[in-house]
Amino acid sequence: MFHSLDQLLGSAYFALFALATLLCAGGVLLSKHPINAAVYLIGVMLSLSGIYVLLGSPFLGVIQVLVYAGAIMMLVVFVIMVLNQARDHRVPRFDGFSIVGAILPLAIAVMAVRTLAFTEASTIDPAKVRGEIGPIAYTMFDLTPAGPGYYLLFELIGVLLLIAVVAAVMLAKRHLDSPPVHEAAGEDGHAQH
Amino acid sequence: MHSIDPFHVQLLAAVLFSLGIAVVLTRRNIFLVLMGVELMLNAVNLSFVGFSQQLPGAQSLWGQLTPLFTIAIAAAEACVGLAMVICITRGKDTVDSDAFAEMKE
Repeated sequence: MFHSLDQLLGSAYFALFALATLLCAGGVLLSKHPINAAVYLIGVMLSLSGIYVLLGSPFLGVIQVLVYAGAIMMLVVFVIMVLNQARDHRVPRFDGFSIVGAILPLAIAVMAVRTLAFTEASTIDPAKVRGEIGPIAYTMFDLTPAGPGYYLLFELIGVLLLIAVVAAVMLAKRHLDSPPVHEAAGEDGHAQH
Repeated sequence: MHSIDPFHVQLLAAVLFSLGIAVVLTRRNIFLVLMGVELMLNAVNLSFVGFSQQLPGAQSLWGQLTPLFTIAIAAAEACVGLAMVICITRGKDTVDSDAFAEMKE
């Protein structure tokens, strides 16, 4: 009896998180101000991390909360607030071309649902390894020649993140030879009035 | 715990991906376009995790490792993308994506 109750709760929690995910994704599509959309997107990411935990990969759920909902969305909200001077919400949400743009997502949704409907039913393997941090670490840093070699990808991701940081600094800097500090301070003081 | 139907997971991922494409193609604010890309990346991650649960034994870990790299790529993409947004909005003073159509001419 308790086993069936456990199964029932699993699918009930999945339905709850899936509903929250879809509602928040619809909120991203329809929200007026980008800050509202960012908060809805954080809701999507938190619900998805719950689904990851339900599916048996808790480490991925933790990383989703830490990196996605924490770091990336913090960056997005920070930039929105830096650039936001009460004019973002004056950008209209949709225009005439949006109707044309909505055709492709609808077609992809219908195609995906039809394809999935014709696949045979499959079940989750009960004997699978749960994605705790230990097995994940042993698989990722498996240095044996017969291993999957994920550690090389890990090194490459490190190089890529370094390149991205340098590129972001180069792009967002006003000029490479910036004016002295007192000029910039005077400019800011003037902009506040 | 194992009563979740993998079909429902893939269905949720497909609908989420479609919503992401809809946000990218229909919204006019460039921040919303970037958020749509993030939504699509999340849908792909969910699809990876859902399929990896059907693999036997330790192989199911491989599909759970790939989303970690996708999250790192998404971090790099958000970093460079937001820097580009700062760079192009500095001259125009707007975040309407229609204002950045100079490459047409």
